[in-house]
Amino acid sequence: MKVAYIFATSRHTVSYVLAKMILPQLEENRHGVNVVGMFFFEDNNYVLMKGNPTGERLHKVAKKSGMLLMGCDQCCYERDIADKLLEGVPIGCFPDLYKALSGNMPDQVITL
Amino acid sequence: MDSCEGACCGNAPRRVVSDLFDRGYRRNRLDPFPFEGAELRDTNDLTARFSLDLENGAIESARFRISTCITLIAYCELITELAAGKTVREAAALSEEELVAALPDVHPMKRDRASLAINAFRAALAAASRFETGEVA
Repeated sequence: MKVAYIFATSRHTVSYVLAKMILPQLEENRHGVNVVGMFFFEDNNYVLMKGNPTGERLHKVAKKSGMLLMGCDQCCYERDIADKLLEGVPIGCFPDLYKALSGNMPDQVITL
Repeated sequence: MDSCEGACCGNAPRRVVSDLFDRGYRRNRLDPFPFEGAELRDTNDLTARFSLDLENGAIESARFRISTCITLIAYCELITELAAGKTVREAAALSEEELVAALPDVHPMKRDRASLAINAFRAALAAASRFETGEVA
C-alpha cells in the first residue's frame, strides 16, 4: 500500500511521531507501507531546513526511495525559511502537492 | 502616543514575500481599473491580468486579478509598488531579473512566477500605451 503523510498539527508530530517512529522505520525498511510523500504545514516546516538533523536523515531516505518532501509555501514564507530548505525540497500548495503526487498516487493520505 | 513603526508591530511595510502577499491578497480582490491588459496563463495553469489607473501619463495605481499563488501574488504586488508614479515608458523598463533580485527569499523553484507577473504587467502597459497613442478609443 502507498501512503502520503500530511503533518498538519504541531506538538510532538515531527519531533516524536516522525523522528522517533516513522523515520527510523523507513531507515530500517520496516515501516510496513510505501511512503510516497510527506507534506508539512505550519511549524513542522522547520524540519525541512538545511542542517536540521531529522530533516537531513529524512532527506537521505527521500532521495533513496523517491519519496516526495514538500513544505507549505505560505507557511515557509511566513517563517522566512523558504530559501533555507534542504537542497531540492520544493514548496507549494495543494495543486502543487497533487501534481507532484500524480505520477505515484497514494492509496491513503494520513493526516498527523 | 506615536504608533510603533517597527516590524515587531507589523506596521512597517517590508518587501518580503509574506508581507507582499498580505497586501497583494487584498489588492487581488479589488475591481479592475480602466486600462486592462490581456489575461496570461503559464504552464502551471496560473493566470494573471493587470489593470492600470493613469493620471497625466503616470501610473497612479495598479491592480491585478491573478491565481492565488503566494509567490505570484508577491511578485505582482511588488510590481504595483515599484510602478506607482512611473510613466508607462519608465514602468516598461521593469524586468523579471529585477523582481527576482528584489525578493531573494523566494524559493528557487518558484522564481518562474516572476515571468508571468512581468509579462501580464507589460500587457497592461501595452493596452495603456495603445490608448495614449490613440490606437484605441
